[in-house]
Amino acid sequence: MKTRIFLLLALACVLASSCEKLQEKINLPGIFIANTAVEDRMQMSELYYKKMYDDKVWLVAPDGGYSFLVGADSHVTTDPGRMDEMLANGLEHGDLFYAHLGDIADTKAEYYVTLDSLIKVAKHRYVDAKFDEIGDNQYIYKGGTEDPSIIFSYDEIVYPFFPVVGNHDITRNGWALWSNIFHSSFYEIDVVVFLDNGEVAFDHLIFLDSASGTLGRTQIDFIEKGVLDGKYDDGTSIYRYTFVFTHTNIFHPQFNEFASTFPREETFFLLDQFEKWKVTCVFCGHVHTWDERNFNGVHYLTLDSMCEANNPNPGDYLVRLNIDKDGGIDYEKVRMNYTPPKKKK
Amino acid sequence: MHKNEIITDITAGYNVITGMFVGQAAFFTHHFTDRWSISGSEQYQFMKNVGSLDFWGTYRLPLKRTNLYFDAHLVDNMFYPWQTNEFIANASAYFEGNYMDFRFGMSFIMYHKYDVKKEYYFTDRSYIEPPTLIVGLGVNIRPRNHPWNVGFFIRNYDQFFYENWNINLGVRAHARINDQLKIISELTARPAGSMSQLATRYEVSYNLGVKYVW
Repeated sequence: MKTRIFLLLALACVLASSCEKLQEKINLPGIFIANTAVEDRMQMSELYYKKMYDDKVWLVAPDGGYSFLVGADSHVTTDPGRMDEMLANGLEHGDLFYAHLGDIADTKAEYYVTLDSLIKVAKHRYVDAKFDEIGDNQYIYKGGTEDPSIIFSYDEIVYPFFPVVGNHDITRNGWALWSNIFHSSFYEIDVVVFLDNGEVAFDHLIFLDSASGTLGRTQIDFIEKGVLDGKYDDGTSIYRYTFVFTHTNIFHPQFNEFASTFPREETFFLLDQFEKWKVTCVFCGHVHTWDERNFNGVHYLTLDSMCEANNPNPGDYLVRLNIDKDGGIDYEKVRMNYTPPKKKK
Repeated sequence: MHKNEIITDITAGYNVITGMFVGQAAFFTHHFTDRWSISGSEQYQFMKNVGSLDFWGTYRLPLKRTNLYFDAHLVDNMFYPWQTNEFIANASAYFEGNYMDFRFGMSFIMYHKYDVKKEYYFTDRSYIEPPTLIVGLGVNIRPRNHPWNVGFFIRNYDQFFYENWNINLGVRAHARINDQLKIISELTARPAGSMSQLATRYEVSYNLGVKYVW
């Protein structure tokens, strides 16, 4: 009897490991041990960010109000149509930046080649729309809204597309591919807002690496040391609004979702931390289901997947958050119309 | 057939959020008949500052040399560092074979954030999760009633914690000292992100206890 059970188990393992379709979707060894550690990603992200940006990227909203566009779980494979639509929509609308909540591509080298090409094309479109080329590899802001004496090289222009890493980005050693394009999975950005009354406000964008279902000790250390707190000496917050972008969802919108969320202690730690930061809105992805709720004064939006394989029909998969000149905030869902061409039989 | 059981154990472990922790737990079971029993337990994990109470009733259905149990649990967890109280109602069926055991059931979990300085409840301070399946499998190398045994388990729950698809797995062992006393032990790894195919170190703990029946 025992021999029969062991033979059946062995047969099941062989069948599971030999099924190519299953392997493409599910990385079975990853259920027991991951091939990329969140601690390694943190070390690399911190080094890159310190070296490149002296710890922080600054965005400027010169007219008092601004908007930004958020998408999630694009799972780019060979067809980047939905990603292209998101970036084109953001540029056309004049969003200050575009955030992606992870699982941007499934882990295969050719999918990342497709994605990299798309990001390069989108940056060209952005530079053409926002900058004037005044000489060989010399660019200034268009329209004189910024100081024309600030001259950038093409590489110095920060394309305002800010992703966080998702589990599917890296399940098969994909961190090398992802970091080659986006470099850093944990970072913060300040938005400098010039208000009509002549004052300046600061908004805070925090991008957390939760792809592994835990932030890991290094990221928790950063948070506990107050690296992201942004407080004046008297303890008051520098920031008007704080927005958090991360992959793994906090809440559990539906019964029939079997992806891991944060373990119990970490869920309660994060809910508490978001309250301490006085976060305005936390954006999550991961479960491919829309969810909206308030918890303890913080608004949580979990976005549906924008991937054409998961949601082939046009739909409201993106979210645009609008902050007006008076500081009023609302959000709207943004429709995506791209549908993949039908395959010939 | 004994009427009462008591288990007491100590735990030491490491958790990514809280660091090192030690804990104790105690369990008491009273058998009304050889089929019906009620139990209660408590635990406190020092340094992590988590306290728990669990009460449950069990019905045992003998099936030849195996047993099928039906459990109903009410669990209350206090996560003191984050002022959060979690309440869980769980119902499950547990099959106890000679070499294998299996549990399948459903949890209903709600939690709320309290603040001792302010009002106890706010409407946006509570969250009721959708029902969560619980699944557990254990395999032993010796028959169930052997004086000593070593086994492996994988599950998405523990005595006091019921997770949303975060599995914990480990090795368990027991050794019978005499008819009334048994030593029990478990080494548990509780990775994060296992069902996201990125199992990552989150918590590991070792648990050692004694079980006394009379």
